[in-house]
Amino acid sequence: MIKRRRKSRKRPDAGEIMPPEGVPLKLRIAGVGVRIGAQIADVLITFGGALAIFFLIIALGATNPRNTVAIGALLFFLIRIPYYVVSELIWNGQTLGKRLMKIKVVSHDGGPLTTHALVLRNLMKEAEVFLPATLILTLDDEAPVESLLGLAWIAMALLIPLLNRYRMRLGDMLAGTHVIHLPVPILLKDLAVEAPVGSDGARRFSFLPHQLDHYGAFELQTLEGLLRAGGRNQSPSDYTNQKATVAAIVEKVRRKIGYSDPVSPPDHREFLQAFYNAQRRHLEQRQLFGDRREDKFFATSDEDE
Amino acid sequence: MGGGNIMRSARFRTEREADWKRLEALVAEAETSGIQAMSFASARDLSALYRQATTALAIAREISLDKALLDYLEALTARAYLSVYAPQERVGGVLRRFFAASGPQAIRRSWPFVLVGLSCLGLGALTGYLLYQENAAWYHVFMPSELAGNRGPDSTTESLRSVLYNEDPDKSGLGAFATFLFSHNTRIAIFTFGLGVFLCVPAVLLTFYNGLIVGAFFALHVDRGLGIDLAGWLSIHGVTELSAICIACAGGVQLGSAILFPGQRTRMDALRHAGRDAAKLAIVAACMLLVAAFLEGFARQLVQDLGARLALGWGVGLAWLAWFVLAGRSAR
Repeated sequence: MIKRRRKSRKRPDAGEIMPPEGVPLKLRIAGVGVRIGAQIADVLITFGGALAIFFLIIALGATNPRNTVAIGALLFFLIRIPYYVVSELIWNGQTLGKRLMKIKVVSHDGGPLTTHALVLRNLMKEAEVFLPATLILTLDDEAPVESLLGLAWIAMALLIPLLNRYRMRLGDMLAGTHVIHLPVPILLKDLAVEAPVGSDGARRFSFLPHQLDHYGAFELQTLEGLLRAGGRNQSPSDYTNQKATVAAIVEKVRRKIGYSDPVSPPDHREFLQAFYNAQRRHLEQRQLFGDRREDKFFATSDEDE
Repeated sequence: MGGGNIMRSARFRTEREADWKRLEALVAEAETSGIQAMSFASARDLSALYRQATTALAIAREISLDKALLDYLEALTARAYLSVYAPQERVGGVLRRFFAASGPQAIRRSWPFVLVGLSCLGLGALTGYLLYQENAAWYHVFMPSELAGNRGPDSTTESLRSVLYNEDPDKSGLGAFATFLFSHNTRIAIFTFGLGVFLCVPAVLLTFYNGLIVGAFFALHVDRGLGIDLAGWLSIHGVTELSAICIACAGGVQLGSAILFPGQRTRMDALRHAGRDAAKLAIVAACMLLVAAFLEGFARQLVQDLGARLALGWGVGLAWLAWFVLAGRSAR
């Protein structure tokens, strides 16, 4: 009880969002690197679009050579400003670059993304991303003060996302949004169903309750990962490595839980599978009764409270 | 035997797996074609199954230690959440709402800030004018040399007049100058808005400085008896353009004042709240700058008559004012 209360007082996890349904969802925050990647992709796309129109205008002869640079800059400007807002509005918080990098804008408070938020965060992008970028391109040593100011601005724009937990840039802060990795749902088979309790393995290896009191959820899930990895196709050298690991783990588990019967090498996987089932059933049962065991140190950490 | 032997969490999963698979398919459909394109039954199932999945996730966190199941449910629920709570607005609707109502409403709500912007520009212009009258050398202090385009206290009255009324703009480089002025004033507008966050100071200073330039430039022409001609040359686009700068300044000042005087809110909250109107002011300013660029690029060369120039410039200005004052009022 005491432990639980202390936990609730801690700050919520950075990668967590509270939707209106009240069940917190884990959404991993996208780092600065992947966002810069998406930004570069977007710049290339808009620049390509501007370039195409630019060449069209030149081909039509609608301009004279003196104005070309200004018109090119103008086109880039006119294309990129609506591009970000409209694409994020249509694709629910994703520009083409973000789709490419599988990241997405979400509302900070768990509600839906509003038009206002999308407009604001992308208008600020103009001051935050493009202004420093043009400043870098136009730096010259004839105007040292302006160059220094430009560099300070660039440093600030890059530092702000690194200084907060949500990797928000200034526009994100104003709009109340942040950027996450899009989660990919993949449903793997249930290990416990593949070899249910009544099967052959469970009859051959049985565990007593005190033998199951040594490990917690973390160890169980590590074992789950190992069992799943073993099931996949692998090269011969991986196979022998895996076999050695499994043998070592079987030995460790046997010694820890005091399982006296020897386990012959062909039965190693079956033993671990049976142990996984028994351990999971045991831990889940304990959890139902309010005894949540995070890892094998659950006994000592309880005494600390 | 069979079902009885499966452990509780595995049974939990087998009972719901079909629903999750269906939800997964619906989410994929919603993400590729959009919720608007889905049939009624699918959309209804999507939201119902999403709510079931959140419940299942909450239960699974309590009863299951199957990492694969937990990860899958986390990801599936998150994906479903993102498509259920996607913005449901169409681009056309957003645009119409902005121009018909929310844009002018925002301007009306923040009229004190627009007044601040206007007075900054006005005071700047007055100062520039008076300083030039005192000593013509001030002109070189204010005026960026690229913007002056060889026009200064040293140039002859004839050359000044020839720039104002030019039949063949491409030869004088006025076309290039126009595009440059457009980008210069656009940059000023972006800066005044974006830098307003820093306690209003940069926004106010920049607007004031822009006023200084206009004032000194005006004084130069008044000095040569070209005051009314310059007024025509400037007002054809300047009425729109300078108002746009004032409005951008108003947006910036609004952000800055939210930080200076947050009232009962925290500063972050106040900034977010002020941002709602400030962003709209910025968009209005951007639209005005766009119109100004077109006026500058085309109308100024086409319309050479002084009276027509004045009428066009101020007419467009009146149209803006009418939009701000009249549009988006409720019928009441």
